[in-house]
Amino acid sequence: MTTREFEYETVVGPAPRADARPRPRAMRWLGYLAMIGVVIVIGLPIYWTLIGSFKLYNEIYRVPPTWFPLEPTWQNFPDAWNAAPFGRYYINSIIVTALGSLSEVALAIMSAYALAFVRFPGKNYVFIILLSALMIPVEITIIPNYLTIARLGWINTYQGIIVPGAAIAYGTFLLRQAFKALPYEVLEAARVDGAGHLRTMTSVVAPMAQPAIVTMALLSLVAKWNDFLWPLIVTNTADMRTLPIGIFWLRDQEGLVNWGVVMAGSLFLIVPVMIGFIWAQRYIVDGIAAGAVKG
Amino acid sequence: MSQRFMTRREMLKLMTVGGGAAVLAACGTAPAAQEPTSAPAVVSETGSTVNLTYWGSYSGGLGEAETALVEKFNGSQDEIVVEYQFQGSYEDTAQKFTAGLQADTIPEVVLLSDVWWFTFYVAGAISPLDDLAAQTGLDLTDFEPVLLNEGNRQGVNYWIPFGRSTPLFYYNKDIWAEAGLEDRAPANWAEFIEWAPQLVQKEGDTMTRAAFVHPNSASYIAWLFQGVTWQFGGQYSLDDFTMTMTDENTLRGAQFYQDTANSLGWALLASDISQEFLGGTAASMMASTGGLRSISETASFEVGVGFLPEETYFGCPTGGAGLAIPSSIPDEKKLAAMQYITYVTNPENAGFWARETGYMPTRISAKQLPEMVQFFEENPNFKTAVDQLPKTRAQDAARVYVRNGDQIIGKGLERIVVNNEAPATVFAEINDELTKAAEPILEDLKAIEG
Amino acid sequence: MTSRAISFPWTKRKHREWLLFGLLVGPNLALFSIFTYWPLIYNFYLSFVRWNFLRPTKPWVWFNNYIDTFTDAKFWEIMGNTLVFTVATVGGTLLLGLLLALLINQPLRFRDGARAIVFSPVVMSGAVVAVVWSYIFDPRYGLLDQILGWVGLNSPDWLVDPFWAMPAVIIVYIWKNIGYAVVIYLAGLQGIPRDLYEAARVDGAGAWAQFWNVTLPGLSPVAFFLSVTSILTSFQSFDIIKVLTNGGPVNATSTLILFLYELGFVSYDAGEAGVVAMVLFTIMFILTLIQLRYLERQVSYG
Repeated sequence: MTTREFEYETVVGPAPRADARPRPRAMRWLGYLAMIGVVIVIGLPIYWTLIGSFKLYNEIYRVPPTWFPLEPTWQNFPDAWNAAPFGRYYINSIIVTALGSLSEVALAIMSAYALAFVRFPGKNYVFIILLSALMIPVEITIIPNYLTIARLGWINTYQGIIVPGAAIAYGTFLLRQAFKALPYEVLEAARVDGAGHLRTMTSVVAPMAQPAIVTMALLSLVAKWNDFLWPLIVTNTADMRTLPIGIFWLRDQEGLVNWGVVMAGSLFLIVPVMIGFIWAQRYIVDGIAAGAVKG
Repeated sequence: MSQRFMTRREMLKLMTVGGGAAVLAACGTAPAAQEPTSAPAVVSETGSTVNLTYWGSYSGGLGEAETALVEKFNGSQDEIVVEYQFQGSYEDTAQKFTAGLQADTIPEVVLLSDVWWFTFYVAGAISPLDDLAAQTGLDLTDFEPVLLNEGNRQGVNYWIPFGRSTPLFYYNKDIWAEAGLEDRAPANWAEFIEWAPQLVQKEGDTMTRAAFVHPNSASYIAWLFQGVTWQFGGQYSLDDFTMTMTDENTLRGAQFYQDTANSLGWALLASDISQEFLGGTAASMMASTGGLRSISETASFEVGVGFLPEETYFGCPTGGAGLAIPSSIPDEKKLAAMQYITYVTNPENAGFWARETGYMPTRISAKQLPEMVQFFEENPNFKTAVDQLPKTRAQDAARVYVRNGDQIIGKGLERIVVNNEAPATVFAEINDELTKAAEPILEDLKAIEG
Repeated sequence: MTSRAISFPWTKRKHREWLLFGLLVGPNLALFSIFTYWPLIYNFYLSFVRWNFLRPTKPWVWFNNYIDTFTDAKFWEIMGNTLVFTVATVGGTLLLGLLLALLINQPLRFRDGARAIVFSPVVMSGAVVAVVWSYIFDPRYGLLDQILGWVGLNSPDWLVDPFWAMPAVIIVYIWKNIGYAVVIYLAGLQGIPRDLYEAARVDGAGAWAQFWNVTLPGLSPVAFFLSVTSILTSFQSFDIIKVLTNGGPVNATSTLILFLYELGFVSYDAGEAGVVAMVLFTIMFILTLIQLRYLERQVSYG
């Protein structure tokens, strides 16, 4: 039995046997029809973004809009890339996203483990207090946090961008649910082997809940990668800025926006995340289920 | 400025400038040549350079022009180094400046838009600039008076015009020709009411092409309607913050707006007016001069522009932004900041900025520079915008000095134009809302102006 | 809440266990205290003062800000909008998401590709999404108008008509977030043991009865998990509405979070913004408590 199957069995339940039961042909056709419908409805705006980035300046504003670029051009991509130091923005975004997500994942595993397995009086209140962080609108945190970061002397630094968002409530919630769904026998076995809490957490619980952790990490990466407002406020110089701010730079304050260039620029942002999603999507499916199904 | 860093060179400089200023005052309009072309020295005794930070909102093409100006300044002298830092939209920049004031992390120069500078003025956060201007030789008399006076309180200047725009009447020449109209903007609204039905196109009951398009509140209908209130002899408010939304003439203007979209039925209201105009679904619009260049370049038809139509009077507001210096920075930095402002607003650079961005040249003498004269010849539409400038007027306090006044009025106009509610009822409510919103500003104003 | 603490021999001394708990949860709580709870407490204080972020003084006004807010008709209109927006987006995401998940849960080809497309709006930034959709909604040249035209319908003036603006922002929100729900439902569907269906069939249950008696109960934990998280996200949804309508026309699409932004960042009324933030927090806190109780009691099985 491979590790992969082992996880699947223990975390999600018996693996589905897709063709175990013959399905009515009509249902399958309905399924394909629905799939085509979904791909069209959900994919259309994405298609529009995609072809927009290959259109010339004038064509974007053309009425009626063209479903395929009349004169497809690559020019928007170099135009966007050269309008701002995007290379630098990539580096900053990668640093900020990687460190921010790493911190969130580590803190979520630790907190979720404690909430699921370690004895503490009033543990449920701690859980609710942690969850309440999800209910505090980011708008009210901006000015106080700017002051705190300024006092620490962290304006325009990586730690200034990362630290205020390093704690995690959503992921703690998700992983707590996933950990609680783990089969008790395995944890018992660890106990018999004489493992302490820390070893149980790092060597038993974390590997077993790997799909949930990967999911959480991906959701965290997406959030950090797209974050705009806080990095804009806490940084000043172009060499500290991140990709979403770079895309904002492509827009003019007054006059027309060259949407072709902006859409090309937003592909800089979207493509890496999409590749990450496609690569990790099996983990996502298994992972979220693990957290959600067994409350 | 303090004696501590006043060098001999600086003294000399000041004397020269003092003399120059007297001459300029005598002549009235200053020829460009008399302006210092490179920034005068600010040298502390250690001989180090002064580093300045400038927070602004210009990105994209405007951002490139802004960066070019800053680099030009840095190359023009070796005592001051300015760094331009983009801070997002006008709103973002003002918010960050607010946070910066609390945290004491402010820049030395800040770009504030027409609806924001006053908030910082009443908070005592921005410096009076006249003494500094005298020291750096900035000739305030050469600015378009309407633009400069907007940043003037009780005879003192706080806000130097930079990146200023005004509305303009844009029309689609193809549609005009198709309708057999004379190739010009309408002289007044009465004329446009006659023209409009010929510009409209219908398919059954739906209007596929409107004669005119209004923006929604999110895209600043209250800015464009400001001019219309004046045209009808009304206004949003008096200088002492008495709201006049229920003034008979203000209401006539609102009634006209309602009619355009309802009983007359040739105008529509849209969230992106430029798109409607460029797409040919609206034959004309009032829009900022800031978009003149990009709209002309993008349009698949020839774009015509003209002054705003008149009614009883001519009326056209100013818009855009200006530069300010925070009040809490050291004098040495203030002077250096003023040297930067002096440089980037000098006639030559005001012309450069106007040509690159489509914003109005803020200096009177800039219009006579050969490169500007040539530019006007090549861009007659831009000339129209500049010719309209002296006829414009600073906006009423209700929109620019009352926090959120723009949106309060804009949403009232949406009720009138889209929901077809009675202007008198709506503006009576808006009048109350504005009066209430003005209270805190009035308190602060009393404290600062007495 | 059920607790399944494991007792290890060496941690019989409970204090040592408490210390470990503190060490594990501590960093998370400490960071939240500085960067999230402190702003909330500060905001709570601001809701009792009059301040514009710039004045040196913050006079204490007791409950005046609360009275002003609660007696403002606009506030209640915005509360109503928030309710409509939240119910419609959460309900829409959960129901449509379920429907989609059921249909594409069958052993179909290209299922992974479809899943990627469905999920991709989740990773797009709200501002770009709003821009693309404003093209789609335009009643004269928009893509939606063209498509409605093919079936002989006229497009409403989505973003300008006070009646249609709210449906428009709801559509965009659901479009952006449905992929998340679909993916979770799909996972939930895989987690329902097959033998339950077989048992139901042996009992003579038809497709509908199987769905009703096996699938739905099997998915209830997923639905609860989604409802907790999507209610919190929906209440705080900002980008899409800000860029698409800025809360307009008039106040038709203004929600509490937009109102909070307008009061705080445009009107510079820290006191009333503070009140709205507290209202928002309180509503979400109570709703979450109710759901958690229900979730933990009804759904912890398996």
